[in-house]
Amino acid sequence: MTHATAQTGVERGFGQRLKTFLKDYYIYLVLIAVVVVLSTANLDKFPLFERGNFLSERNIINILRISAPILTLAGAFTLLMISGYIDLSVGSAMSLSAVVYAMLVINGVPFVPAFAATVVVGVILGAINGFLVIRLKITPVIATLITLSLYKGIALLLVEDGVSAIKSGGGLKMPGWFNDYGRDGVLLGLPWAFWVAVLVTLAMIVVQDRMKLGKYAAATGGNPTAAELSGINTKRTVITLYILVGICAALAGIARSSFMSLGDPLSGDGMELTAILVVLLGGTAFSGGEGRVLKSFIGALIIMSLTVGMLTLVPAYFQTLVVGAALLLAAASNHLVSRKDD
Amino acid sequence: MTDQAIAGRRLQARDNKLSDEMFITALVAGAAIVLFLLASMLVPNFFQFQNVVNLVTNNWSVIALGVGVTFLLVSGNFDLSVGGIVALSGVMAVWFAQASDGTNPLSTGWGLPAWLAMMGALLCAVMIGALNALFVVVLRVPSIIVTLGTMMLARGIAQVVTQGSQRNTNLPSDFGALGNMTMFGTSIKLPVVLMAALILIAVFVERKTVFGRLTYLIGANPVASRLSGVDNARHVVNLYLFSSLVAGGVGILLASEFKSGFSNRGTLMEFDALVISLLGGVAIAGGFGSVIGMFFGAIVLATVTSAATGLVLSPDWQFTLKAIAVFIAIMAQTWALARRHSS
Amino acid sequence: MVQTALAEKALSIKDLTKDYPGVRAVDTVSFDIEPNTVHCLVGENGAGKSTIVKMLTGALEPTSGTMAVLGKPYQPNSTQDARNGGIGTLFQELHVVDQLTVLENLTMGMEVSRFGFLIKSDLEDRVTKTLAAIEPGIDPNARVSSLSVAQKQIVEIARAASSGANIIIMDEPTAALSEREVERLFGVIRRLRDSDVTVIYISHKLDEIFELGDNVTVMRDGKHIATKPLAQVNGRPELIEMMVGRSITHDYRPRGDIADNPVLTVKGLNSHLLKDVSFQVNAGEIIGFYGLVGAGKTEVARAIYGADKAHGQVTFKGRPRARSPKEAIASGIALVPEERRTEGLFTALTIRRNIPIMNINKLAKFGIFQDDQEKSVAKEYVSKLGIATNSVEKYAEKLSGGNQQKVVLAKCLFADADLLLLDEPTRGVDVGAKSEIYDLIRDFANTGRAVCVFSSELEEVLGLCDRIFLMYDGRVEAEIRNGATVDIPKILNIVTGGGKAGT
Repeated sequence: MTHATAQTGVERGFGQRLKTFLKDYYIYLVLIAVVVVLSTANLDKFPLFERGNFLSERNIINILRISAPILTLAGAFTLLMISGYIDLSVGSAMSLSAVVYAMLVINGVPFVPAFAATVVVGVILGAINGFLVIRLKITPVIATLITLSLYKGIALLLVEDGVSAIKSGGGLKMPGWFNDYGRDGVLLGLPWAFWVAVLVTLAMIVVQDRMKLGKYAAATGGNPTAAELSGINTKRTVITLYILVGICAALAGIARSSFMSLGDPLSGDGMELTAILVVLLGGTAFSGGEGRVLKSFIGALIIMSLTVGMLTLVPAYFQTLVVGAALLLAAASNHLVSRKDD
Repeated sequence: MTDQAIAGRRLQARDNKLSDEMFITALVAGAAIVLFLLASMLVPNFFQFQNVVNLVTNNWSVIALGVGVTFLLVSGNFDLSVGGIVALSGVMAVWFAQASDGTNPLSTGWGLPAWLAMMGALLCAVMIGALNALFVVVLRVPSIIVTLGTMMLARGIAQVVTQGSQRNTNLPSDFGALGNMTMFGTSIKLPVVLMAALILIAVFVERKTVFGRLTYLIGANPVASRLSGVDNARHVVNLYLFSSLVAGGVGILLASEFKSGFSNRGTLMEFDALVISLLGGVAIAGGFGSVIGMFFGAIVLATVTSAATGLVLSPDWQFTLKAIAVFIAIMAQTWALARRHSS
Repeated sequence: MVQTALAEKALSIKDLTKDYPGVRAVDTVSFDIEPNTVHCLVGENGAGKSTIVKMLTGALEPTSGTMAVLGKPYQPNSTQDARNGGIGTLFQELHVVDQLTVLENLTMGMEVSRFGFLIKSDLEDRVTKTLAAIEPGIDPNARVSSLSVAQKQIVEIARAASSGANIIIMDEPTAALSEREVERLFGVIRRLRDSDVTVIYISHKLDEIFELGDNVTVMRDGKHIATKPLAQVNGRPELIEMMVGRSITHDYRPRGDIADNPVLTVKGLNSHLLKDVSFQVNAGEIIGFYGLVGAGKTEVARAIYGADKAHGQVTFKGRPRARSPKEAIASGIALVPEERRTEGLFTALTIRRNIPIMNINKLAKFGIFQDDQEKSVAKEYVSKLGIATNSVEKYAEKLSGGNQQKVVLAKCLFADADLLLLDEPTRGVDVGAKSEIYDLIRDFANTGRAVCVFSSELEEVLGLCDRIFLMYDGRVEAEIRNGATVDIPKILNIVTGGGKAGT
């Protein structure tokens, strides 16, 4: 190793090595720190943490169950940001999927077809984003703000006036199995929704490391001209990534709606912020080209532990403030880490 | 030679026409009128003078926010923090003004006189603007991410101060004066007049002053503007401070009007301000757009939403309608400008 | 490796011609390039080298004439086409993805996959071997962002080589490299040649050509002058003579004695590229900076103007160096930047809006803009500079290059500058507008104000400047006083790196 670095002619002092180390591993250190702090804090008087122990089985299961939607979403969102694009509509896409799924189920559609149909909805929603951004050349931020509004609007319209969400009532009854997927422990006490999130993340890691799409995403975000010159179809790459994000948003919507036992048209509100926060925390550069799916997964675990932990330590109305501050901090540290040394 | 002369004359003819911005503004104004007439045909009792007035007076707050947002967009930057600032400044103004001897935390404040409380709240708003400027200009974080963050930060502080709800008790009697003062013997309230004044000043600044000119230059070509001696960084800082100042003012006037500081006030206002700017033809790439266009964009949006209400569409339609309106506006602008430049 | 007499030519160019409106950039050029050689292409700026390269890489279509690679007709329409046809190019701008590893960059776009999954193939072994063959020092698993510029270039070369290119074109590859890195690059190029790749090497630095090249083609004024083995070229003098070929015509008229009255003093200016640059500019003087692309001319201009970071002592009219363009303009310095369309002009604005930008407060009272004044000012400058337009309301993007440049000049003149820094003031400008711009520059200097012209066109500095600083590799190598007796071969020798050797 020292031989190689000497050969490449780059001076590497202790500071440089420390910086590289921190850049590569800080996310794990943060996770450990968060877990340690939350487990040692005296949480006796808080009901959510069993016997004040953060590391109790029930608590961990609880956090992981709640985290399923963001864990599902983080990987694909990371790949999209690596390619230099953004999707602000993920929250609305998630809400719309949740509503569609709940509607299908409450009208008697069995699990598998309802699940599949919702995923198809996700494909369509993602494809619309890709179409607006790539074919109609609307700036990603604006295009996905348009669809944020559109998808949310459709979700609200699907739910009858005067009712807040798709749920039992008015002659329809949600079948009993509806929340099994999001709540019922099937392995290690964790529900399907969580294991799907893990599978999706593994799939995204495979996409990033073992598929052309992952390489193309990095090339597109790192140097679009170079990518095009090498014969990479950057347009198709980006559209595919938008569709992937759409699919994951649909899966997240299914997880959320079956966890809550209802199809809430506002259930995904703010998810785009959480996703950006998680991905930035994981070290993905907002300029594109750089980032790791796994680190975003860890970032999501950190944010969810903090959120749940916070709910027990301080009143709920602190949440917006803390998320906003965390987003700014993540953006600032991301900037400091990824800044070129010159 | 003759060909050239003809081409030259044709060019000259075009040069004497409206500028692209005026062209787009005229299009938006035309769209507003057409939509209003269309709504008048479809919706009973829509075609009334009072209704036209209402389209403006009911939306004074978003139109005012649109001014700062438009200036920033023209310079090539987003500001999504304005809705959060509206909540923050309103809550702070109320908190500062509440008497210090309340019976519970939510009715106990700092006991400052109303005017001082409002100045203090304005200062808080400007601090959020300064934070935007710091992150965007100094740390060069994309403005969309920064202002999403500060939007939550500002609203988050408001929620903490109000414990997630609102403060509306134990206020000095003159706290509601500003927001409820009616003007010229009509039912028009002071905030609406202030909004109108702000629009007039903004149009003047945009069209007639060096400050307005520099905003366009920075948006049109930041590299060339720096090399031409423009202090881009300072200018963008000023724009963020200005936008937060306007948002702070809006928040305080709303708090005064309702005599309450509500932490969820202004939710989605940042989105609406962006929507009306885009509807008004402000281009996201920077260097293009106008405050008048934004104003007509607001009229378009107000007409559409109030017609939808008149047609007894559920309020849930607003999101879909906004999405479609912005989409059509962007496509129409691209198409109209492309046609204009190729003809 | 036995070469038969009948071996196919790596590249043969026949009667290649490229016409632009009013200009023939390349005039019926024919020459052959032998396989497995380093073939150098030399000539002054405007000799037609880069036009030929653009036709080879598919960026330009020839007006007439043919090209053939290994005997097969070759007509590329894009860089991608060129690559498929076996011609890789090392552009001056690097096309690598910093965030990926060396190996990922090398295989980019060539990945072998099934259903989108990458599958094992000999591709990685092959590119790793190619890389190791030309530069064993680069770790294939290193991040490209951790490499130096020189190493990134080598990665690009390796990518071209492993994508099956028979010919690799390198356009001024050493412009941004240090001496040691240049040596390493040369090693790479030699190893490439030994592994069946033909290299077309374009450089102004004649030493490099003698050190590296097998054959050389000399171009001048769009015409082919000679193609011969470098071994048969009698040193730098013969090469320079072929490149110049004629006495450069210039109409420098001595502008009378200029008093020793320095307005600008630069001492020990250093930046990432500049090394200890020192000079003085007197009032009323036109100073030229002449050097090759990458010699540091633009950097000198931008450092004085406060646009880039730099160290050293700069004094203008007794004031220290401006820290920003805004300060520079306030102190009376104005810059015409190198890239007219992206750095100098607001193409989306009208002429009228462009002209007052650098001194916008002059047209304002209490911050309020005087529209009528702006119009009359614009009209005044349009007629003063002879900008060919029928209206000041014309958009700048609709103007010809020469008129655009005049608008940029008008901006500077309106700024009431006492020192004009002109970076490539006539690049892409037609002959008529060129001489008008020269007249404007002379008129400006005749009023006792100073001008610095930064140019890579020798005729320009010789026609215009009273004193000329010759730059090479970030240094001022020599200062010459312009006049009838200027030794042009000596100038070319210095700016191509001959000054150091003392020749």
